[in-house]
Amino acid sequence: MKNNIRIERARNNLTQAELAELVQVSRQTINAIEQGKYNLSTKLALKIAHVFKKSVHEVFELEDSDWNTSL
Amino acid sequence: MKTNYLFPNRFKRIGWFIFFPSIILGIIWLLFLRNSDLPWFSFKVPALIDDVLFSETRFFVITEAVIMKEVLAIILIISSLLVAFSKEKYEDEYIMRVRFESLLWATYVNYLVLLFTILFIYGTIFLDVLIVNMFTLLLFFIFRFNWKLHKLKIELNNEK
Repeated sequence: MKNNIRIERARNNLTQAELAELVQVSRQTINAIEQGKYNLSTKLALKIAHVFKKSVHEVFELEDSDWNTSL
Repeated sequence: MKTNYLFPNRFKRIGWFIFFPSIILGIIWLLFLRNSDLPWFSFKVPALIDDVLFSETRFFVITEAVIMKEVLAIILIISSLLVAFSKEKYEDEYIMRVRFESLLWATYVNYLVLLFTILFIYGTIFLDVLIVNMFTLLLFFIFRFNWKLHKLKIELNNEK
């Protein structure tokens, strides 16, 4: 799954820490998501999109490889 | 929110405070004190089963025992549980995942070590292995989980 959280953060002038605070998770979590190391929950995806005032699809995008993996 | 079976965050610090002295005492006990009698730690205690070598097994009795090792083991187990299973300051879904992976890792490592010792350690010293093994699952977990958290923190510092 691809995401453009980093770009959206820059656009909204938010640091990882500030975004983490807004969606009530740790900075580690935001960092792991940005690096594509962690598949976040639907709830968190919705919250992040909400902060950026976007729909989830505008922030997160499925990749072809997502159809071949279970995790 | 669902129950996550974790203690509140403040218990982690309390856990560490008890954990360090008790593990040091535990090691000292294992290395030096095991075969020595410490009479001032001898108490009459209720026992479900009391089994003395070369005499009959008794059930539901009051027995006299040097309970230092019992007290130590209980304190070490409780403090390990507090350290291992207290919430982090931000216990979110990703930290829970790291926690889960660490627990899985610790379980594998613990039983690999046990399998190895079953194969290669014989005689009464195996009793020592079993004693140590009572605590190692939690110890491996504490080590791996906190090491992972530490690595994540370092990554964050590089990020800035």
